[in-house]
Amino acid sequence: MKRTALILAAAGVLAVVVQRTFTLDDHPIRSLTHPDPAIAALFERFQERSPFRGKIFVEVGALSAAERGALEVRLRDAGYREEPLFQPPPPEQVLELAPLLPAENLRRLLGDEAIRARAEEAISVAALPGGDGYLAALQADPAGLGPALLARLTPGRPAPGGGKLRVYRSPTPLDYGRVEGVHDALLALGDRVHFIGADFFAVENYRAVKRDMLLCSALTLVLNLAIFFLFTGRWALLGLLFLGTAVSYLTGLLAIRAFYAEVFAVVLAYTSTFVGFNNEALVHLAGIEEKSRRRSLLGIWSAIGTTVIGFVVLLFGRSVMVRQMALASLGGTAGFLLFLLAYRGVLRRIRFRALEWPKATVSPGVIAVGCAACTAGIAILGLPRVETRIEEFRFQTPALGEQVAHFSKALDALALENVVAVPVTGPPGDTLAGLGARGLVEPGRHPLALWRSISEQEESLDLLREEYPRAASRLRGLLNGAGIRIETASPLTMRPLDEWEFLDRLGELGPIRWAARVGAQRFVFAGLRPGAAAPAGSALIAMSPRHHYDALLTSLSQDLGWLFLAGLAGMALYLGFLQRSLARVLYVFAPLFPSALVFAACARVTGGSLNIVHVMGFSLVIALALDYTAVAVSSDHGPVELSKVLLTGLSTLATFGVLVLARHPVMRDLGVTVAVGSGVSLLFALFVRLPARLEGGR
Amino acid sequence: MLALLLAAALVAPPAAPLTRDELRARYAGIRSLSADVLQVKEGRFWARPLESQIRLRYTPDRIVWESLSPVRTSVVIEGDHLTVSGAGGQARELSALASDPRVAALLSFIRSLITVDLAAIERDFDVTYGVGELVATPRALSEVKLFERVRIGFDARHELAELELETASERTRLTFLRIVRDPPPPALPAPAAR
Repeated sequence: MKRTALILAAAGVLAVVVQRTFTLDDHPIRSLTHPDPAIAALFERFQERSPFRGKIFVEVGALSAAERGALEVRLRDAGYREEPLFQPPPPEQVLELAPLLPAENLRRLLGDEAIRARAEEAISVAALPGGDGYLAALQADPAGLGPALLARLTPGRPAPGGGKLRVYRSPTPLDYGRVEGVHDALLALGDRVHFIGADFFAVENYRAVKRDMLLCSALTLVLNLAIFFLFTGRWALLGLLFLGTAVSYLTGLLAIRAFYAEVFAVVLAYTSTFVGFNNEALVHLAGIEEKSRRRSLLGIWSAIGTTVIGFVVLLFGRSVMVRQMALASLGGTAGFLLFLLAYRGVLRRIRFRALEWPKATVSPGVIAVGCAACTAGIAILGLPRVETRIEEFRFQTPALGEQVAHFSKALDALALENVVAVPVTGPPGDTLAGLGARGLVEPGRHPLALWRSISEQEESLDLLREEYPRAASRLRGLLNGAGIRIETASPLTMRPLDEWEFLDRLGELGPIRWAARVGAQRFVFAGLRPGAAAPAGSALIAMSPRHHYDALLTSLSQDLGWLFLAGLAGMALYLGFLQRSLARVLYVFAPLFPSALVFAACARVTGGSLNIVHVMGFSLVIALALDYTAVAVSSDHGPVELSKVLLTGLSTLATFGVLVLARHPVMRDLGVTVAVGSGVSLLFALFVRLPARLEGGR
Repeated sequence: MLALLLAAALVAPPAAPLTRDELRARYAGIRSLSADVLQVKEGRFWARPLESQIRLRYTPDRIVWESLSPVRTSVVIEGDHLTVSGAGGQARELSALASDPRVAALLSFIRSLITVDLAAIERDFDVTYGVGELVATPRALSEVKLFERVRIGFDARHELAELELETASERTRLTFLRIVRDPPPPALPAPAAR
């Protein structure tokens, strides 16, 4: 009793530490960084100006004025601040960019009629409260070159005045409750409003993870209670399992905290599966009979060793989410084993019911043939592609899916859906022309098409030098007559802009950057034609988040696949050393072959691919499910040890099986993968055995 | 006579500060308003204080801000649209200006000032209520930070009497000379009942 009270107190302290030091992050994607620092820097430079970073977009064209007003109040109350999508050039840049206006435009803007109209407009607006803001802008740009430049340089921008597309800066930190309110209000307006922004995905994922944690934890608890009570009739074992799982949950989180300041919400949801690992350690360490102690310990060390190896290899992965899951698992396992140390005596006294059922005895040769047949089957079906798309990594409701489709179509129409970075050595125009000739981009739709040749700019400059001071002076005179005095700058520093300068300046006006330099290399950004893809092995680098992250996640999945194979090799060596028998090692690994065949068949039938979560799931399968065969073959399929395997197997199936009900695709895919792998392994361990002379570590 | 007036003033109860509820009740549901206003502007861009006669017309959908003297101009704010007419009388829509969220916020704020829409004012400003006036200063996240201080003065009947707006470079004072409202303002309750 005293011991339990002490552990409860320690768990309470750990809980306080976790609660005080943990920060939740809902963007497992955003944490991904490209392994090539140059590409990572380039992507970051492009994303700095991303219209989607820290903002939401709302299309309100179909709403009534009253609905728009109500929505605006709601957004403001939630902390959103409206801002212009395109910023007019700051005053100091207006004159720098002025040579980009054709001479005929400048002639009109600087003409007497335009200046008189501008003076009338100024006198009218100045009469309003706050009219001095307008006069300050007029003083900086007396001829209205800024709006004219904006109109010329951003031809695809939404029509002004209609207010159809509104941009709002997101509040930081995000208040989920308030954002949920905005999200629900937008959804209630139906298809008359369109909206997009990372905030909505964050809220949906937060809701999904919260629901998954509650539902899956509750179901896991109920199912495990039922299974354990059915097998042992002892509440003590259940008490140890759940108290120990609470401890392991806390030590798992602290293991993450030792390396990361923020934990992903989806990793938190994943910790609801700890009861699946812990039940194995608990059951196999409990009720060890003296007469079969050596065999039992062989099984236990085989099981614990493979579990640890399975998680350790995941630490070498590059995905932070996967590493956090591995850290949580290792920390949790360590915490649970330490917890059990305090209850050694209780564990010794527990006894399990011995259950008997018929088993098929097969020779190692037959098992080898079965494995070979499965391998041949996989070869016939074809190895599934290892590929991860961003959609498989996050929860997305059909409503959000519709919004993504709507805005993707709009971006596609602007040739911005798939932007790539193109390394350039000469003038960027030549590079774009080359890509255009290959059918990859449409140079005529690239902003560089708006650049004017040096001689054309010189013509505009000549006009500006002559007409601008005269126009500014005339405006000052007209305003003076109405009692308004402004001082205007003289355009002395104007010069033509080359292509790179033009692209740099343009990137400062709008929400998209068009050029960047990383080290000595210059890049131009260009949208691929709709339907076009960067040729494999080309120097084009995906910059649009979806394409960038798809490529990155696929690369991470492939890395993890190799780590999984390395883990298997490590386990084979470990088991070979421990078991001293090739036949027994083959028996332990045999269930993986039919499992792999099932996945290959599913991928073939559904046309799907294996994603990073499936690979993570495979690692869990080798960490968890191989324990069944390892224990069974080590204990000579002894009835007590096999009963324990049945108990832990059912418990693991229940724990991961309930994840099929999860909303978050990461949890669901993980559940399906581990349930299939564990199911096959459990059936194999329970009903197939080697001849007695080959089992039991003899 | 003078002594009687002085005595009456001395024994009268001290004036109580305005309350938010009183003003909200008084200015709720205005369907239309027109006013003759004397505006004085002074500041960095003005060679000398500019005094102008303004005629204001308000409906929930439209505001006309008409300067009658010294120069005849008008500004019409209609939803998201801003139209100006100069002395020549030619109307021009300033669509680019009106689509700027900062200008849209300014126009919306002017609308809420004219109708003393306290809920709208309080979204952007901290408001303190004094005797016969309220003073508003912008909140940290205000979208109309242009104004550093706004004072609205009311007469004894709590009718809008004066507006003072200060920016970094300009001070505008509007004195309301005549206001016609629909519906007319409710009668003030007797002092004892308040």
